[in-house]
Amino acid sequence: MSIIKLNKIAHSYGAMPVLHHLTLNIEANRLTCLLGGSGSGKTTILRLIAGLEIPENGQIFIGDKAVTDGQQIIVAPHQRDIGFIFQDLALWPHFTVYKNIAFGLTERKEENIKDTVFKMLGFFGLQSEAEKYPHQLSGGQKQLVAISRSLVLKPKILLMDEPLANLDVKLKRKILEHIKNLKQNFGPTLVYVTHDHKEAFAIADQIVVLNEGKIEETGTVEQIKRSENKFVKYFLEY
Amino acid sequence: MDRIKYPLYTAVYVSFVFFIVVPVVYTLGMALFADGSLIQNLALLDHGTFLLLAKSCIIAFSIALLSTFFGAVFGFFLYKTYVPFRNFFKIALLVPLFISPYILAVAWKDFFYLIFNNTEFISSYIGVILVLVSIFTPLSMLIIGSALSNINTQLEETGFVITNFRRVVLKITLPLIKPALISSFVLVFIFSISEFSVPAFFGVKVFTTEIFTQFSAFYNHSLAILQSVILISICILLLFAERKHITGAPFLSLSVKGSGSKFYNLKNKNRLSLVFLSGWFFISVVLPFVVLLIQSFKDGTSKFIQAVELLIPTFGNSVGLAFLGALIIVFVGFVAAYPAWGSNNTRKTKSFDWLLLIVFAIPSTIFGISLIKFYNHPILDFIYSGYAIILIGYVGKFSFISAKLIGNAIRQIPNSLDEVAQIEGVTFFRRLLKILIPLIMPTLCVLHYVINNFGLVFYNKTTS
Repeated sequence: MSIIKLNKIAHSYGAMPVLHHLTLNIEANRLTCLLGGSGSGKTTILRLIAGLEIPENGQIFIGDKAVTDGQQIIVAPHQRDIGFIFQDLALWPHFTVYKNIAFGLTERKEENIKDTVFKMLGFFGLQSEAEKYPHQLSGGQKQLVAISRSLVLKPKILLMDEPLANLDVKLKRKILEHIKNLKQNFGPTLVYVTHDHKEAFAIADQIVVLNEGKIEETGTVEQIKRSENKFVKYFLEY
Repeated sequence: MDRIKYPLYTAVYVSFVFFIVVPVVYTLGMALFADGSLIQNLALLDHGTFLLLAKSCIIAFSIALLSTFFGAVFGFFLYKTYVPFRNFFKIALLVPLFISPYILAVAWKDFFYLIFNNTEFISSYIGVILVLVSIFTPLSMLIIGSALSNINTQLEETGFVITNFRRVVLKITLPLIKPALISSFVLVFIFSISEFSVPAFFGVKVFTTEIFTQFSAFYNHSLAILQSVILISICILLLFAERKHITGAPFLSLSVKGSGSKFYNLKNKNRLSLVFLSGWFFISVVLPFVVLLIQSFKDGTSKFIQAVELLIPTFGNSVGLAFLGALIIVFVGFVAAYPAWGSNNTRKTKSFDWLLLIVFAIPSTIFGISLIKFYNHPILDFIYSGYAIILIGYVGKFSFISAKLIGNAIRQIPNSLDEVAQIEGVTFFRRLLKILIPLIMPTLCVLHYVINNFGLVFYNKTTS
């Protein structure tokens, strides 16, 4: 069953078109990777799903509900039940690790915030870092704090925009393990943007290969590996 | 997307228009068009007027060029090298910025009198240039220094892999701070061309003194305002060109986080840079102070004590008023700038920007006289006879700088910090309060401090 539907979405930045009437269905409770090179439109898709960009045309549905219709945002980002992990992680530099994670819960007036935050920190082995500021953390710890911050709000969908772009191979593998386990432990639908096919192959249930704002191929890891599509074959070579 | 909540913005915008723009436009308009005087006065704008304007432009150009040059040199020493005592010089060299230009002009004239028994040299165009360069160089140094300290280390380090120190500075560092150099030049030019007290004290005829003569000696308000309009147009044109050229570029940005800028070790040239800095400090700060002290005590301590006694009753008022004014200016600047956060900048916010800019470009003399003429009315006496008129003038003159500084500090904050909070359901005002304001707090505090000190000077000037 599709949880996210993009219907004939067109989008451009100024005079430069980024997405060309793109239609895409993302299945619930699965990890979908949007795979493509620079300028393929993968980050734009994520931002459109989040409601951070307004398309020129087309509709976006989350569940059965139209959240964006044409140039109109019907459902605000915070009402879409999503989490977003940015490429730069966007950890608030003036908040401690604890406050970064607790902030959203406080704003939503949740109860037992301290317990919830420490439970999350415990899951990722970050309890001892609770009072540290982002600049005092290692690259991997920052990634985990960003993931914790999103998961603590129990989103139905977690959008991840190349979150491992600046990590070394060893750390990448460790964090990828965490991401793979997210579905079992927290249950959100994951949409993961990457330009690295190895990363996609390591974690994806479903892969969408993008090229210049169009979908070239959709399928499981095995289907993508066996694809006869010229672009896909070329892309996977490197 | 979360829409900007505008009530506060609108309230500040309307207040600015109501208390500042309307009085100035009304007074200027009335004087300009009264009894068909516009056509008569247009005929008075002769060859001599434009020659005087050209002279003023040349003086302002020279001051802006020299201040920007020295500001860049000192900014580089203080913000990019390990020159000894750099933290001391960073503060000490700013002193002339917080002293009334008039006072410094007095000190320099007295210095020439004491040493050479002749003030002919200083009471000239060159004297005006020298004194104003000593005042505005710290401003250029601040603007350029902050741009230098915000350059990403890797950009310069990448250059060092390819070429030598001199080429990196010329081909990478300088082009990267070009917007700051332009901003510094334009701002100093505007401050210089609008400056009245120094040329007036030295008896040098420039465009602003001519305007003042028309106002106060010939009571030809219409001609004076017509001349002001020319001056305002030049300033606005320059600011417009600056904006077009460096849209969104950093300007005196006081970083929210450690920028990690590259520092150069000048090794044996450190001593030379220390000599330069010490020399400038001696000329621009120590010398005028020593002269003022000598003059203050030349008749013994009685006059000094008398001056202190005269100052004490007004001192509290000055400090309080400057503090309050600075607070209002930072608030107005913040309200004008916050819509720039994220991608919510609208045409409406740009029109406020332009209003702030136009008011800033009006020469202080004309601005002050316009406010006095408008508020000197029985119905508005509660403003005219109290401190409110000074606060209004103060807010009108400095809000542009405040909005520009805060806007640039805001632009340094990645949009993702706001977007992630939006997704978490944090309301716009909570995001302002909990994320934006704490992140730009260093800028707000330094800005308040700087404007507060400026305010003490401004207050003294306006009241005198």
